[in-house]
Amino acid sequence: MLTRDRIGALLLLAFSIFYWSRIDDIRLLPFQAEAAFTGRTAPEVLAVLGVVLSVVLLLKPGSDAGIEAKGYRWGTAGLICLLMVAYGLTVRPAGFLISTSLFLAFGFFILGERRWLVLLGVSVPLVVLFWLLMTQVLSVYIAPWPEFMDLSR
Amino acid sequence: MIEGILQGLSTAASPINLLMVAIGCFVGTFIGMLPGLGPISAIALMIPITYGFDPATGLILMAGVYYGAIFGGSTSSILINAPGVAGTVATAFDGYPMARQGKAGKALAIAAYSSFSGGTIAAILLLVAAPSLAVVSRAFQSTDYFALMVLGLTAVAAFAGKGNVVKALLMTVLGLMLSTVGTDKGVGVPRFTFGQIDLADGISFLLLAMATFALSEALMAILKPKSDADRKREMEAQKNLGSMKIPREELKEMAPVVGRSSILGFFVGVLPGAGATIASFLAYGIEQRLAGPKKGAEFGKGSVRGLAAPETANNAACSGSFVPLLTLGIPGSGTTAIMLGALLSYGIQPGPRLFEENPDVFWSVIISMYIGNVILLILNLPLIPYIARVLAIPSNILLPLIVFFSLIGVYFVSFNTFDIQLMVLFAVAAVGLRLLDFPMAPMLLGFILGGMMEENLRRALAIYNDSWVFLWERGLTLSILIIAALVLFVPMIGPKITAVLARRREVAGEGG
Repeated sequence: MLTRDRIGALLLLAFSIFYWSRIDDIRLLPFQAEAAFTGRTAPEVLAVLGVVLSVVLLLKPGSDAGIEAKGYRWGTAGLICLLMVAYGLTVRPAGFLISTSLFLAFGFFILGERRWLVLLGVSVPLVVLFWLLMTQVLSVYIAPWPEFMDLSR
Repeated sequence: MIEGILQGLSTAASPINLLMVAIGCFVGTFIGMLPGLGPISAIALMIPITYGFDPATGLILMAGVYYGAIFGGSTSSILINAPGVAGTVATAFDGYPMARQGKAGKALAIAAYSSFSGGTIAAILLLVAAPSLAVVSRAFQSTDYFALMVLGLTAVAAFAGKGNVVKALLMTVLGLMLSTVGTDKGVGVPRFTFGQIDLADGISFLLLAMATFALSEALMAILKPKSDADRKREMEAQKNLGSMKIPREELKEMAPVVGRSSILGFFVGVLPGAGATIASFLAYGIEQRLAGPKKGAEFGKGSVRGLAAPETANNAACSGSFVPLLTLGIPGSGTTAIMLGALLSYGIQPGPRLFEENPDVFWSVIISMYIGNVILLILNLPLIPYIARVLAIPSNILLPLIVFFSLIGVYFVSFNTFDIQLMVLFAVAAVGLRLLDFPMAPMLLGFILGGMMEENLRRALAIYNDSWVFLWERGLTLSILIIAALVLFVPMIGPKITAVLARRREVAGEGG
């Protein structure tokens, strides 16, 4: 039966095998040919441990609990993940203030907030306050505006 | 030693550090109260802010956050039966029934007094135990450190509970694998970087901690939102706290419980891998047995003893867990692992040398833990009715904020947008593993110990001319490794051996 433990074991087995397959990419320096411990030693031991433990879990799962996919908001969580990726792509070109305000407003919106006053009234002042705290109090420089508006470049 | 304590006291008692411990306690309580977010997330969220600080100040702030988060976790356990972390699950057994009887204020006061007493007694024990262990650990070599780290990792897995040992071990190996990404420190060869320059320095500890704890916890809350009934219950709970006074006879009843649970909690906390959860359950079980049939029957229905015991023990265990961290540089839990990450980021290597080279840091952390306890009692307790309002912030506003603070905390350290994408990847993977019931703390512990383990092993092999004989020839190393093997295998094999013996006895009985 495909229990939760078995699915996890399969995923980690796949990861361990992938990890194992990439060990050959680690370059060995000429003087290491005879060494007892090289850059490959630890990965090799870990790959073996990973495969053995995944197989043990696959054969003898700790519990019989199956997976439940019902009652989860997959779409909403997926959208938040996409929003995070988009934030990572825009925070530099669009500047901290604009990208972060939009990130928060869209985040609130995705989670069900529809009042414009809350969407912008919470995100914009909060981002500006946070930016002031970081730049003025903690002396961390963060480019506030989009790249094309940055006069120092 | 006295000189060191005085030095630590003057550092910890400086106005800026007192302010930091107060802010830490306050912020920690605030974050810890949010269901799902525990001390690990709270500390991870604070690390980027403390980068610009003096090491002692940064650590003092984090010690405050740590205690505050535990107290905040207890508060949500008592008020809404939603423990933020496993360590406060036992608190809810009697705390929540007490709150339902309209005595939430009293339950919170008992929790605060117990935590304070547990913390105080443990701080005194720490004051005595840490320097003595630091002196002993001076005799340790790389080989022993390697063995100790193996012990730490196996202990975490062994205490994971029935049916979870293999899963915890697998997660530890996963953490160790992730720690090998980046340039190999021994010879400078890149490993598993896939030609990406962003991975040349390896995966940042903060990134991994934030992605697998704070961010994945927020994503879990988005995936499975609370029902309307739960939200209504939270709103009600934070409105009616009742009186915070504890009658004299109940205080008298609590005193011996607190004394016993403090000592028990501290020693359980010192053991690597055991920590606050086991300490709190153990203290609860022992007190229930000691209470006798009449008082014991009250456990689970709002018993004063049943609330005081786990609360005292989990706080004492938290102080205890600092002993291996500060003296050996080996964290015994996810939370101390993240503290170790913070120490390393300040360029401080915990261990016996910390005690000699940075006595101000060593002692000020211990003393500020105590100050943190005092602040929790005199400042946080009266403010609880106000802090509890955090439970009323709607989740559609709160969750994007947690996501934002997690992302920005990592981005502000590296200013590399690749880190944000990597965090999303790790957070998604962590959510998947959480849904499959795989524990995250062993992974984090494996990750933080991985690099150190490899370095110690490499050094040990260099000392022993590339020979592995130290594993069985050096007495101390061998003893620690044997203990590690026992810790791991006895709980697995023990019940089977007992069953076989019982069967034999039965057969012998029938035959005779």
